[in-house]
Amino acid sequence: MESALKEQTTQHAAPAKLTIRGVHKQFVDLVALNDVNLDVAEGEFVCVVGPSGCGKTTLLRIVAGLEEADLGNIAIDGKQVKRPGVDRGFVFQSDCLLPWRTVISNALVGLEINGRRNAASRVYTQSLLKLVGLEGFENYYPWQLSGGMRQRVNLARALAINPDVLLMDEPFSALDAQTREIMQTEMLRIWNAGRKTVMFITHQIDEAVYLADRVVVLGRRPGRVKEIVPIEISRPRSLAVKRTPSFIAYVDAIWKMIEHDVRESISEEGDHPKPKRQRDAVE
Amino acid sequence: MIQADKALNPSAAIAEKLAAKQRRDKLERAAFPILAWVSVIGGILLWELVGRSVGSALFLATPSQTWLALVDLWRSGELQHHIWVSGQEFLYGYLIACVAGIVIGLIMASYRSGSALLGPWVSGLYATPIIAVAPLVILWFGIGIWSKIVVVISVVIFPVIINTEAGIRATDRHLIEAIRSFGANQFQIFTKVSLPSALPFILAGLRLGIGRGLIGVVVGELFGARAGVGFMILQAAESFAMPKLFAGVIVLAAAGISLTAACHALESKLVPWNRR
Repeated sequence: MESALKEQTTQHAAPAKLTIRGVHKQFVDLVALNDVNLDVAEGEFVCVVGPSGCGKTTLLRIVAGLEEADLGNIAIDGKQVKRPGVDRGFVFQSDCLLPWRTVISNALVGLEINGRRNAASRVYTQSLLKLVGLEGFENYYPWQLSGGMRQRVNLARALAINPDVLLMDEPFSALDAQTREIMQTEMLRIWNAGRKTVMFITHQIDEAVYLADRVVVLGRRPGRVKEIVPIEISRPRSLAVKRTPSFIAYVDAIWKMIEHDVRESISEEGDHPKPKRQRDAVE
Repeated sequence: MIQADKALNPSAAIAEKLAAKQRRDKLERAAFPILAWVSVIGGILLWELVGRSVGSALFLATPSQTWLALVDLWRSGELQHHIWVSGQEFLYGYLIACVAGIVIGLIMASYRSGSALLGPWVSGLYATPIIAVAPLVILWFGIGIWSKIVVVISVVIFPVIINTEAGIRATDRHLIEAIRSFGANQFQIFTKVSLPSALPFILAGLRLGIGRGLIGVVVGELFGARAGVGFMILQAAESFAMPKLFAGVIVLAAAGISLTAACHALESKLVPWNRR
């Protein structure tokens, strides 16, 4: 972990867009996060991977302001943030669209809450829906859409407030394998259009390697940054990249870093489902 | 020859099978409403037959006699008067109960202390056949309109409170979280998520209240009134005027069915996302 810290401080001497400093979070019977430090540069795509129970979702929720850290702080452009705000857009694991609102109305909800819903923002949101591939579906209701399309709305809704940082919590994990692959390429295409700073949580190593500039590997008990792996695969990346030797080497290397933790978490889940309990504490 | 054709062209056989299945489905879809009408008309015919064979208008009025009574009552203007009186009692009681019930339900869902204070009373009184104290209500509020309004309120308000509270509480936490991530305050969470998400529950509560409210009106009038459909039924029973009694029951049934249907229509208009 020390080597990781050193690497990260030397690599990003320039002021980071998002800084996570000494974050510590404890639930009733477990330390979810212990002294987590991470800098994300402007326009950087960072993926966080780790076994279940490593606190990766908790970390993202703290960054989003949905949860409070016991120690440490989060800053965007050097300004400390504690509560949810329009500088961060959150894309949830489940689609969380309001069932009584149409696609466009759902995408506008963040602007509406911040009193920024007007003709101009509507036009902008419409262009975002086009960007995420939902042109022509503006007046559909969520239940009329497939899972992949609902996640596109979810993404457009987060982008609509034009956040500095996009926070994504395993957004494709509920999708089937093929849709997920498509959504990953779509994610890169959409990201490439605006080059937002992205912090993306996933438990899928290949997804992390495919998307990220850097992959942050978390360890568990307590959750901490174990390693940071820069992914030196040139962009744009097509799905074919996933079958190249260098890609596979990255996936293997990261798997080796977390394999022990994953096995441990699986054997523990047998006696008492830990992630579930953590989830309860979260909500 | 036909056999040979099918063997050569399996897709034709499949198409034929599909067409047969579609015809069967279509027939079934058409058959169910017909069956419902047969049931209703058959029931009325049976009632007419039994009524005629009993032969005594003291115990049972036939549908035809009931219809004639309805026409008579309408012509004399008596029926309209009773409906007007009962309708006012129902309307005022129902509206007050709905507004108060929704407000109390929202308070109970929003404040833990509110729920702790009111919860035991609401669930206790909901389970009590509160209609049994109608005579007492008449004693307190007299035989005018107010006693009936109070009875209606007391039976309608509880399903409304309970459904409103349950609806707000059933709000998907993920939806609240999603709105919170945009920096929404408590009021925005309430108006943009909790309330719309509870709307189907609230409307179902209002629909349940209709039947209970009609019972309230009739029972209230049975225990003391000067007019109203329930009063008319009581009068008819006391003078063994069976056709008139049945006419009153028919009016109540029609009111219940049409009000419930209106409520269903309102539900599918206001909460179209809940249709699945």
